[in-house]
Amino acid sequence: MMSRSQARMFFVGGTILFSLVFLFLTVDTLIKVPDLTHARNITPAVDRGKQIWESNNCMGCHTILGEGAYYAPELTKVVERRSEQWLKVFLKDPQAMFPGERKMVQYHFTDGQISDLIAFLKWIGETNLNGFPAKPVLKMTATSAPASAAPASHSTVTAPAMFSQLCTACHAVGGNGGNIGPALDGIGTRRDTTWIDKWLIDPQAVKPGTAMPTLPMSNDERAELVKYLGELK
Amino acid sequence: MKYTSQRVAYWFFATCMLLFSLQIVYGFIMGFAHMGMDGLHDLIPFNAARATHTNLLVVWLLTGFMGASYFIIPDESGRELYSTRLAYIQLISLVLVGVTAIAGFHMNWWEGRKFLEIPRPLDYVVVANVLLFLFNIGMTVLRSNKYTATGIVLYVGLVSAALLYLPGMIYFSNQTVDSYFRWWVVHLWVEGVWELIMGSILAYLLIKLTGVDREVVEKWLYVIVGLTFLSGILGTGHHYYFIGTPSYWLWIGGIFSALEPLAFLGMALFAIAMYRRSGRNHPNKVALYWTMGCAIMSFVGAGFLGFAHTLPQVNIYTHGTLVTAMHGHLAFWGAYAMIVLAVISYTMPLMTGRKLWNTMPALLAFWLSNIGMLGMTAAFAVAGITQVYLERRLGMDFLAVQKEVEVHFLGLVLAAALFTAGIVLYIYTFIKFGKPTAELQENIDTEDYPVRESHAALGGA
Ligand code: HEC
Ligand code: HEC
Ligand code: HEM
Ligand code: HEM
Ligand SMILES: [Fe+2]
Repeated sequence: MMSRSQARMFFVGGTILFSLVFLFLTVDTLIKVPDLTHARNITPAVDRGKQIWESNNCMGCHTILGEGAYYAPELTKVVERRSEQWLKVFLKDPQAMFPGERKMVQYHFTDGQISDLIAFLKWIGETNLNGFPAKPVLKMTATSAPASAAPASHSTVTAPAMFSQLCTACHAVGGNGGNIGPALDGIGTRRDTTWIDKWLIDPQAVKPGTAMPTLPMSNDERAELVKYLGELK
Repeated sequence: MKYTSQRVAYWFFATCMLLFSLQIVYGFIMGFAHMGMDGLHDLIPFNAARATHTNLLVVWLLTGFMGASYFIIPDESGRELYSTRLAYIQLISLVLVGVTAIAGFHMNWWEGRKFLEIPRPLDYVVVANVLLFLFNIGMTVLRSNKYTATGIVLYVGLVSAALLYLPGMIYFSNQTVDSYFRWWVVHLWVEGVWELIMGSILAYLLIKLTGVDREVVEKWLYVIVGLTFLSGILGTGHHYYFIGTPSYWLWIGGIFSALEPLAFLGMALFAIAMYRRSGRNHPNKVALYWTMGCAIMSFVGAGFLGFAHTLPQVNIYTHGTLVTAMHGHLAFWGAYAMIVLAVISYTMPLMTGRKLWNTMPALLAFWLSNIGMLGMTAAFAVAGITQVYLERRLGMDFLAVQKEVEVHFLGLVLAAALFTAGIVLYIYTFIKFGKPTAELQENIDTEDYPVRESHAALGGA
């Protein structure tokens, strides 16, 4: 049997040996990380975004790189999942995008802060994460789809970029998209284009108390959307 | 209690009870928020509740470790504490920092990294505070001429915990590097140096409660903490799988973290073996329950449930889900909360001179809190596994999945109510003991219950 001094040697020796190996690997990791994380893309905006992220403790509800809290969605790949345009609208007024759902804090960010945050999220989304998050293996077909796949299969009309970036978060067309708002298949038969135009300018004016948010868009973008929706028959 | 200065431990333990109660309140706020009852959102958003819950946990555990050290180190060194005044100053300043940090969380003021939410300016105060503590304990050890392995391992654990806090204070603009060093605090604390603190307190309690020879206990203590570092240092790699670090961490972290349960298994087997050899019929059965319970539950929570999600093939699905919360609760409870509650149960009769051991409320406190915590672990487990399956395997939307698991949070809150009933009884017992007395109670725990001859011989074998 081991004596006490041998046991102490095991402790001291093991600790020193493994600490040295760990320090060596740390140095090697720090040399490789800039490449794996595209550190050259860390612009001042990305850094400011990280500081906004930390000074509001977003990690206290969300996870990023899989670390944080389990109350709100994982955000490492959120730009890919939602698009920058969507995030811009969402961060202005989070609760408007998810009416009646679990609440995020309304931070009243300025446009500058929002674009810094998006820069940070975009940078982190490009990091090489050894395969995380794993692609769902048993993916169900109808639940959710990448925004770009939104145009309806039975329709020959292509959706404007604005539609796939923003509207599909809440509306489905041809079975693809969110379910917070009604599916928009056949909207062109249900509503005329003047109504749709008015609706997009200010939903509250058409139907007070509605959960559809007023979304920021230029006149051209709106015209394009109205034309597209009018053709969904 | 051999030295009057050991009494300062009482005030540290009383603080523990207070902070622990508050921690539980914030746990309930989050449990209800997960069920969709977030009425407090405007006042206490989830991130504030969470930071308060986990920081109170860490602070009350540290306060407990400090109290335990102020009791154990004089005993092991054979002299009075270097300065009781410093100890009180240190306790009061620790509480002030804690209160400021928690008030800050409610006003959106933080460093904003998981478990390191305390704002950076306050970090410096924490460091000063811990240095004061280490100085006080260190001087006590130095001024004595007695160095025991238990005392030394405890002191090494405390000093390393302080050192490892430092890398967590640096700002990095690269989130990957930020996370890399965050784990030097979080992982190397709970799966490294805190295990030294836990192991040495466990050794101390076993020596006192079972009467097994010090030589035997301390030999095993070295083997166990040796195993801790052998596996735990490179085991840090289980947090470096998916954060933008090189892929060799997948196998280094996988292999070494898979060995980590050995240290906890060692502790459980060691405690059971010492208990079997026990030559002493110690009257403080409740303290023995908490001590043995700690050794066993830490293996279940940290060793077994840690192993369950530590291999990269599993972790790629469970990483950052409620499965982690399941493991976090039972591991922290079994290893660190229970060891602090064990020391408190052991020392209270000695400090107050009241032989209130083995009362009904004290026994119920042990059983209710442990059964409640196992229930909470089960609720988190079911919610977590459902989340992994629906969100990570089927690709369902996050919020839709959260609706599916809401019902398990009802289970969580019910189990937590049972747990809380146990803790209320524990605190009731604590209050019943009253304040520490001025007279020395030398060996009231052992004088009437001497070591039996035959067993003493066995213990020394
Ligand atoms: C109190 C908890 C909480 C805090 C703090 C919080 N969020 Fe959220 N966040 C949520 C919830 C809940 C959702 C889910 C959508 C909803 O219901 O609003 C969400 C959704 C999001 C989304 C959209 C994710 C998706 O996939 O749809 C982004 C982006 C986001 N949050 C960014 C942030 C940022 C940036 C911060 C910090 C400045 C932050 N959040 C702080 C709770 C929070
Ligand atoms: C935050 C979620 C959300 C987003 C984003 C959103 N909508 Fe809506 N939308 C709704 C909801 C909810 C309704 C149902 C409103 C009601 O009936 O009160 C609705 C209704 C509509 C309707 C009327 C449907 C009907 O059958 O009467 C149209 C048209 C529409 N949305 C178009 C759009 C377009 C175009 C966009 C993108 C620019 C968009 N929506 C983005 C939530 C959303
Ligand atoms: C008493 C000891 C332990 C405690 C208190 C503890 C606690 C925790 C906590 C709180 C977390 C979440 C950390 C965060 O996300 O910031 C965590 C994560 C983790 N723990 Fe432990 N742990 C202990 C021991 C172990 C052991 C021995 C193992 C492995 C065998 C282990 C494996 C893991 C893994 C793999 C994760 C990452 C989970 C994820 O990817 O989300 N833990 N632990
Ligand atoms: C008794 C009532 C308790 C309830 C209802 C409760 C509930 C919760 C909830 C809901 C979370 C947040 C999970 C998330 O991010 O969504 C949490 C986190 C946490 N709690 Fe508790 N808790 C309680 C007691 C405790 C106790 C006694 C301990 C320690 C012994 C503890 C340790 C932790 C830890 C370590 C975390 C962070 C987990 C992680 O990040 O993985 N809690 N708790
Ligand atoms: Fe770990």
